[in-house]
Amino acid sequence: MDLSKLKKRASYPFENIGVAIGFSPNLEAILSEAKMLADVLNANLFLFHIGEKTSEKEEALEIILKKLGIDSRKVRTMWMDGDPVDTLLKLCKLNIIDLLVMGALKKENLIRYYLGSIARSFSRRAKCSVLLLTKPTMPARKPKKVVVNGVDNPKTFHTINTSFYLSRSLGINDIAIVTENHMPGLAMTIAESSTAPEASKIKKEYSEQETNKLHSIVEKCQREGLNVKEKVITGKPGYAIRAYAESRKADLLVINSPDTQLNILDRIFTHDIEYILEDLPCDVLIVHSRV
Amino acid sequence: MASLSHDDLIILLVSISVMLIVSRIVAEFLKQFKLPVVMGELVVGILLGPTILGNFFPELFNSIFPAEGNVPIALDGIFSLSVIMLLFVAGMEVQLPLVLKQGKIAVYTSVFSMIIPFVTGFVIASYFPHWFGIPEDQKLLFSLFFGTALSISALPVIARILIDMNLFRTQVGLIIIASAMFNDLLGWLIFSFILGLVNSSSDNSAVFYSLGYIIGFGVLMLTVGKKIINKALPWVQTKLSWPGGVLSISLGICLLCAAYTQSINIHAILGAFIAGIAVGDSVHLHEKAREIIHQFVTNFFAPLFFVSIGLKVNFITQFDFTIVTIIMVLAYIGKVAGASIGAYLGGMNKDLSMAVGFGMNARGAMEIILGTLALKAGLIKEPVFVALVIMALVTSLTSGPLMRRFIDKDKKKQVSEEEEDVFTYI
Repeated sequence: MDLSKLKKRASYPFENIGVAIGFSPNLEAILSEAKMLADVLNANLFLFHIGEKTSEKEEALEIILKKLGIDSRKVRTMWMDGDPVDTLLKLCKLNIIDLLVMGALKKENLIRYYLGSIARSFSRRAKCSVLLLTKPTMPARKPKKVVVNGVDNPKTFHTINTSFYLSRSLGINDIAIVTENHMPGLAMTIAESSTAPEASKIKKEYSEQETNKLHSIVEKCQREGLNVKEKVITGKPGYAIRAYAESRKADLLVINSPDTQLNILDRIFTHDIEYILEDLPCDVLIVHSRV
Repeated sequence: MASLSHDDLIILLVSISVMLIVSRIVAEFLKQFKLPVVMGELVVGILLGPTILGNFFPELFNSIFPAEGNVPIALDGIFSLSVIMLLFVAGMEVQLPLVLKQGKIAVYTSVFSMIIPFVTGFVIASYFPHWFGIPEDQKLLFSLFFGTALSISALPVIARILIDMNLFRTQVGLIIIASAMFNDLLGWLIFSFILGLVNSSSDNSAVFYSLGYIIGFGVLMLTVGKKIINKALPWVQTKLSWPGGVLSISLGICLLCAAYTQSINIHAILGAFIAGIAVGDSVHLHEKAREIIHQFVTNFFAPLFFVSIGLKVNFITQFDFTIVTIIMVLAYIGKVAGASIGAYLGGMNKDLSMAVGFGMNARGAMEIILGTLALKAGLIKEPVFVALVIMALVTSLTSGPLMRRFIDKDKKKQVSEEEEDVFTYI
């Protein structure tokens, strides 16, 4: 494989879709969702299993693939030993994977969350987009409601465009682009030296600024033919959009990949993407824009 | 149970109402000239205290603010409660995730803006304790305090300046806010340790106990405590009366933590400050509840506390020009250099780094609280306290205009660079 292709590779289309296989009870449903995506997006399918290759596992996989109508000669299945996260990262890089599909629990127990489960650890470090499926179904169901982050960040433009590409391909027509208005330190300052009208004026101005910023980002994206709502919500970044996706009963939440390498401190002093990984509100697509 | 007499109660109520009403009027007047509220409250303290009222109308002064009896004890209790509440709300605005989120620049800025002023203050106070009227045997504690006093920042003043300059939501603004939050946390931790040393015996093990207790309490409250509060708040806010429930529980947690740190010989302020961080960081704390707590503390307890400063100290007789000049020069050099170097090393350009340096230089109310507690603990003498108050006010007043100079300079440079690009293109 030519690794130079990875550099500056666009965040979409998803030409190569990988699936992390764990032989859990959800495997069939996860593969069914991945097949649906690969069919719709006309993508190549790669199956990765980190662990021992046994004849039982091979047989079980063969049966599921047959049941789902996946031609095993058309998919590449790779079996490798090693640290699950590191090996998956390596496999994705070597195979120029654009999107890795994984199953993930909605909420991990506290110890597993802090130590880092495979799906969450991979999501923090991935160099490709990641789709975390919390409730994969058999047969696969296309998402109907999508919430996309619209935060002020260079990555957002690519994330929104990727969500539009996916929405067009899957026929989704309920898309909400959401940005969070968070003003640390403002309550204290307003309490000290602002009259009520001044305080509301400041808050209104900040909300308007966010609305304008969001609108200018969305306007630059390719939104033709899509029903897109723009919304500014108040609250802590990450937590507010999680709560919004939950309250809206969204099927898919699309967010930017993390800006920095996240570690345990980011989980203790939770912020941004960590609020989402702490408790996945629905299926989550983390877009790696490679910018 | 002992209680205040009929007359004592009347005097207490009159003194509180005089402080509240006069300070509000003066603060509102000064606000017209863009001067900070805390300045108005300090001015009222000076007017009502021994400096003016006590000097010209001693009888009236003694009848409103008697020096003996039950009233000063009751007032002292209220002032102590005020400082605890002030530290609680200061903690509520400290959001450590913001520091992590802002990454390298915020970490560099906050670390350098702490280390350089701290070292500057510590070294000068260690070598020249006589400049500040400190005997040789007390120089270590004073040096530690002086380093901390020079390194602290005042988030509310800084935030106000940023709002007025329309920089609150910009990258520079967020870096300053995040760094000031981190400064506050470290500053109050170090200061609590120093107060712990003052209160403890000279035994070396007591020092380690103090340090261990502070670290243990901080870590426990900011991890387990924070999680418990975060889990409990939705229940408190939906099942109990609103906003009474959340107010009582939050303030109750604050007082409980304050009582705990006081009981282990670390000052009550640390407990209140850490409780503030744990409560304020909760995603479930409604913005309205946060505002109500701030309004209550800032408009009732803060004026009482800041006016009380003027009631205790005579700002004219205790004014020492040399000490004021030394503290002022050290404050500017240490903080501006520290924060600017940090921001520059973090990746900001020269002008914006200087803007961050001057932004972080505002000391405001936090410095005054720190000075008051140090004076009460016997760490500093009155002339040093007066100098710290003056430094806090001057740095707060000059921070905005000096910051503006460098922001404008940066903007001009950007415009001229863009024009150059256009010219080259043509």
